Amino acid sequence: MAEVSAGQVARLALLFERHHRALFRYFVSMSNHREQAEDLVQEVFFRMLRYRTSYDPAQSFTAWMYQIARNAGVDQVRKRSAVQVVDIDTYVDRRAELVSASAGPEESASRGQDLALLRRAMDQLPEDKREILVLSRFQGMKHEDIAEVLGCEVGTVKVRVYRAIRALEQIYFALEREKVS
Amino acid sequence: MTCEQAKPRMTDYWSLTLGEAEQKEFSAHLASCEACRSEVSRVGALWQSLDLLPLEEPSGKVRERFYEMLGAYRQGLASAETQPAKRWWTMPAWQMAAAAALLAVGLGAGYVARGNGQPPAEVSQLREEVASMRQLVALSLMQQQSASERLKGVSWSYQVEPSDTEVLNALVTTVNHDPNVNVRLAAVDALRPFTGSPATHLAARNAVVQALPKETAPIVQVALIDFLAELKERNAAPELRRLVSDPDIDSGVRKRAEWALERMQ
Repeated sequence: MAEVSAGQVARLALLFERHHRALFRYFVSMSNHREQAEDLVQEVFFRMLRYRTSYDPAQSFTAWMYQIARNAGVDQVRKRSAVQVVDIDTYVDRRAELVSASAGPEESASRGQDLALLRRAMDQLPEDKREILVLSRFQGMKHEDIAEVLGCEVGTVKVRVYRAIRALEQIYFALEREKVS
Repeated sequence: MTCEQAKPRMTDYWSLTLGEAEQKEFSAHLASCEACRSEVSRVGALWQSLDLLPLEEPSGKVRERFYEMLGAYRQGLASAETQPAKRWWTMPAWQMAAAAALLAVGLGAGYVARGNGQPPAEVSQLREEVASMRQLVALSLMQQQSASERLKGVSWSYQVEPSDTEVLNALVTTVNHDPNVNVRLAAVDALRPFTGSPATHLAARNAVVQALPKETAPIVQVALIDFLAELKERNAAPELRRLVSDPDIDSGVRKRAEWALERMQ
């Protein structure tokens, strides 16, 4: 990014190839909306170009990128001024279809149901908890980088990640009990 | 360590990111605390199962749109750099003098440019940047995990200068080590332009000679043999003879090696 910031904008292609999938997954996890997530990926890279001179090479690039991503996400929600209504059942069904076909039919069906339940639990997590879990668990970010993105202490991040997984556990088991009864 | 101190460390424990001293302290606490031990096991299983959630993949449009946006942005940058000079011409006090001066400068510049045949500096710089962008795209795609992405990277290599040794080296690595037959096959074809450049022709030829003994897929072997015959590369003759006399080799490959040896004579 330091090179992009210094004027070699073509080097952004390298950053795009390295990070666009992770960014896309972050946005999908936060919005459950593929098209919107693709628009936001585009927006993040555009903002990187636009604000490239504000990048400080001493700062973590990942943290800077997710700061831009969060702002882009917030701006889009404001623009649309309405929360997307997600057809959760369709979404969960589609997720379940994606379960590996290599497993046997029974195992695959049971795993698919568990994963669908887990996905549903993730979707029901409050946004702040889901975000910190996504950044920590799916984006593989260090606690230090998450602290920079969220503007808090590293210790706070650890506590919040722990609380998020515990909240997920509660939702998951509540959904499981619902299914059984 | 108390339970309150142990809880925020659980995610580090599951992610194997605890430091050595912390790990010891944490393990000691677990050994003495049944409640935390049970929580680590129960919630840890949920933490690990998050790995099983399918990963969403963006559509190909994302890449297409990104490169369109990058191209447009760079064009915009290039034209913005030339704008101050245009504004200067429009200032009334300078218009007459500027018109005359520009005519003279234009004639002079035209004469000089025609004389040395060099493009303007901005155009050269823009060309360099485009070449650098193409190189980057080809190199990054060739390192991707997905075979279809690596295949795209090989296709991008046709857009770089044939004297680009970095892209040549990446193609050679692909020919020798890519686990996917289709990617290796495409990379063999993509080496062709490099045999026409004085800077890379020797390295490209040697790469094809050295790749043949390592290759095991008949379809790629035939592609390499055709390429060597086309180049009339005599250094490949010993390997071609070995293929002809090897009884275990695919019959199609053997026939093609015989044909190549005849063609080289």
